[in-house]
Amino acid sequence: MTLSTETPQRGAPESATRRADTASDGADRAGWRALATQPLLVLAGLLAFAVWRVNATLTETEARQLGWAALWRSTREHLLLTVTAAVIVLALAVPLGIALTRAPLRRMSPLVIGVANTGQAAPAIGLFVLLATWLGFGFGTTVVALVLYAALPVLRNTMVGLQGVDPRLVEAGRGMGMSAAAVLFRVELPLAVPVVLSGVRTALVLLVGTATLATFINGGGLGVLINTGITLSLDSLLVSGAVLVALLALAVDWLGRVVEHVARPKGL
Amino acid sequence: MWDYVLERRELIAFQAFQHVSLVVQCVLLGTVIALALAVLVYRSPAATALANGVSAVGLTIPAFALLGILLAPFGFGITPAVIAVTFYAALPVLRNAVVGLAGVDRSLVESARGIGMSRSAVLFRVELPLAWPVVLAGIRISTQMVMGIAAIAAYVLGPGLGGLIFSGLSRLGGANALNSTLVGTIAIVLLALVLDLLLVLAGRLTTPRGIRV
Amino acid sequence: MSETTTPETPASDAAVPQRRVSGVAIRLDGVTKHYPGQDRPAVDDVDLEIPAGETVMFVGPSGCGKTTLLKMLNRLIEPSGGRIHLDGEDVTDQDPDKLRRRIGYVIQAGGLFPHMTVATNIGLVPRMLGWDKPRTATRVDELLDLVGLDPAVYRDRYPRELSGGQQQRVGVARALAADPPVLLMDEPFGAVDPVTRLRLQDELLRIQEELGKTIVFVTHDFDEAVKLGDRIVVFDIGARVVQYDTPDAILASPAEEYVADFVGAGATLKQLTLTRVGDVELEQVTTAAVGTDAAAAVAAARAAGQDFVVVLDERGRPISWPTLAELGRATTVPATVDPRLPVVGVRSTLNDALDTMLAASQGGVVVTGRREALAGVLKVEAVMAAIRRSRAEVAG
Repeated sequence: MTLSTETPQRGAPESATRRADTASDGADRAGWRALATQPLLVLAGLLAFAVWRVNATLTETEARQLGWAALWRSTREHLLLTVTAAVIVLALAVPLGIALTRAPLRRMSPLVIGVANTGQAAPAIGLFVLLATWLGFGFGTTVVALVLYAALPVLRNTMVGLQGVDPRLVEAGRGMGMSAAAVLFRVELPLAVPVVLSGVRTALVLLVGTATLATFINGGGLGVLINTGITLSLDSLLVSGAVLVALLALAVDWLGRVVEHVARPKGL
Repeated sequence: MWDYVLERRELIAFQAFQHVSLVVQCVLLGTVIALALAVLVYRSPAATALANGVSAVGLTIPAFALLGILLAPFGFGITPAVIAVTFYAALPVLRNAVVGLAGVDRSLVESARGIGMSRSAVLFRVELPLAWPVVLAGIRISTQMVMGIAAIAAYVLGPGLGGLIFSGLSRLGGANALNSTLVGTIAIVLLALVLDLLLVLAGRLTTPRGIRV
Repeated sequence: MSETTTPETPASDAAVPQRRVSGVAIRLDGVTKHYPGQDRPAVDDVDLEIPAGETVMFVGPSGCGKTTLLKMLNRLIEPSGGRIHLDGEDVTDQDPDKLRRRIGYVIQAGGLFPHMTVATNIGLVPRMLGWDKPRTATRVDELLDLVGLDPAVYRDRYPRELSGGQQQRVGVARALAADPPVLLMDEPFGAVDPVTRLRLQDELLRIQEELGKTIVFVTHDFDEAVKLGDRIVVFDIGARVVQYDTPDAILASPAEEYVADFVGAGATLKQLTLTRVGDVELEQVTTAAVGTDAAAAVAAARAAGQDFVVVLDERGRPISWPTLAELGRATTVPATVDPRLPVVGVRSTLNDALDTMLAASQGGVVVTGRREALAGVLKVEAVMAAIRRSRAEVAG
């Protein structure tokens, strides 16, 4: 009785180990399988687009805008906007999130979260236009607007992730003589990684989508295709732009999921 | 800015009403669709996974892109706006409804069946009421999100406060351009907060007292 | 066999430990904790001497300040007044991180870091102290062995792959990693089931027998305090020390009505929890190693007038106790592990032994000593006789 509840290792340690291993292997495989469908969807979409593009009869304007080089330039602009904003968001929001969960600033965190949540209700397009009246049109303004818009999910998830770490583990770390910094880097941040990364992925997807609005303030990107399509009533342009942005968002989301899957600390 | 608001209060009020009316109707429609879908799928793990996949993928599609795609078949006007806003409103509710229904304690369902309740009675008397707080959380997320999306919908000539923002954009540098944009943006933020408050209130009133937290 | 079946003589007088001592003394001088905004101090001017190498139990109602006092020992909570001395050295103003590396700390459920393997968890403090990898690895295996977990099996597991009791063992191993002289334990066994708790208590007694650390242990379970403690401190609100004495003395003469209430009714029967299984004469039984001739074992048992045989595995640990009829059906002694075999350690109390028998619905328990090797068998009759004796003593 005592033995069975307390020390299953004596019965058959190997089988117990194997069971645990196959269980986690199984979860792992299921995780990868789920991750496999999304890129297939993206590839199928790209393929369909390419087939349509090769076979479609286009007007001269359309053909110029939908040339492979032009498409690639728009996509690159779009990605550049997204990546620049994402890097700045990471560099600002993660340290800020950490700072707001440390003792000196902890009391301010509900206030910051409240303000940020309210800010999130602001329509992105309003933010773009307001910033443009202040900073003028162009790439820089677009990046500022994107950063403001995408910082919240990263900030919030950093804080939520850190607050979600069992305080007893922090105490255990301090209790065994780890410094505050050691506890932060070796215990709190690794345990918060899944939540933080899911915030980063949310932000990335938000960035890809919001960057389509850059066209309104001359920021470039794939939104230009959609906008031109709308203003000139060229359905082929606007659908191409929309499809490519959607595929890009899906691809970025997938990349985020892969990173989350790989970076998730083992043992959780 | 006050002068601007006072001067045009009727127009602004009308656009605000249109904006809220679009959002509220689309959220209602989206909620009904999402609940129906959730009820259809929640008993089957495969269908549940599919529904979760659809809501996750759907939420990654940029609103501006979807509006563009809808323009091709439907043209300018209210139809693409309603479809797009309803689409985005339904997704968070779908995700939460599936989670909420799956989270209902199986033993409660069994005991309800045990006392002779029919399948649909179990759904309407036990499962949906218990899942309601989670569903409502989804509705709140939806509402906040589509308030902003509805602003973009104004670009395809949908109704609402987005019109103020876009008219500001088109007259940038000109008189009242800033006022127009600012009023549109702030009005949307305020209305979003008011709607959220109303939803919290609705939650208090519609959540069974026994499971209120 | 003869060596392991001899019951170990426990240190009967706890105040004079006969075991090896590697711990150091702790002295508290007027230690106080006053939280801003509260009228009464959480801990009010406590003086306490904790002798080297002893296990001192802090008991008292929740909110009495016992945990606060414990956490002031490793300065997780900074005292607002008073001095703390470790081994005669005033450590009140020492760098807390350095201080804590010299004090092991065990909390409920072990406080293991879920994203690190068992080995990484245990090796944290040695690595912080600058040990190299091979030395740390050796130490980790040594400690796993000490707490009764096979290093080869458990070294690379993650905490969630362990049972609650195993996690708690790893927690103890981690606290002992850098061989600190002092171990602080904050209700460590509060979250495990009663049977596992009993087992972990036995393990702690055994480890303490081997190591002789100074242990300060917070619990709200008076039975646990009586079982594990060399001395018990009974606290009242504000960490007022109501009584500080050996378990027998507290049970025999509670200092105040408050202590008597806390000790609870039936204090005389609680004397039972003072008697260790090892104090009672154990029945020596016929044993058989796995894989040996079954018939020979049956014959030996018959000759000794016994109707069962205890089967031992290759490390001398009991795994089952078949009746002669059951064993007679086999040709060689089977290696089957009986999951319902009732087992207690020699340092268990008679109370534990009785509980285990009742839980297993058996008339006796198998008793194990060092490294879980067989020490003998305790029958229910022997427990009853001990109860009668202790009643007679109290009455007389």
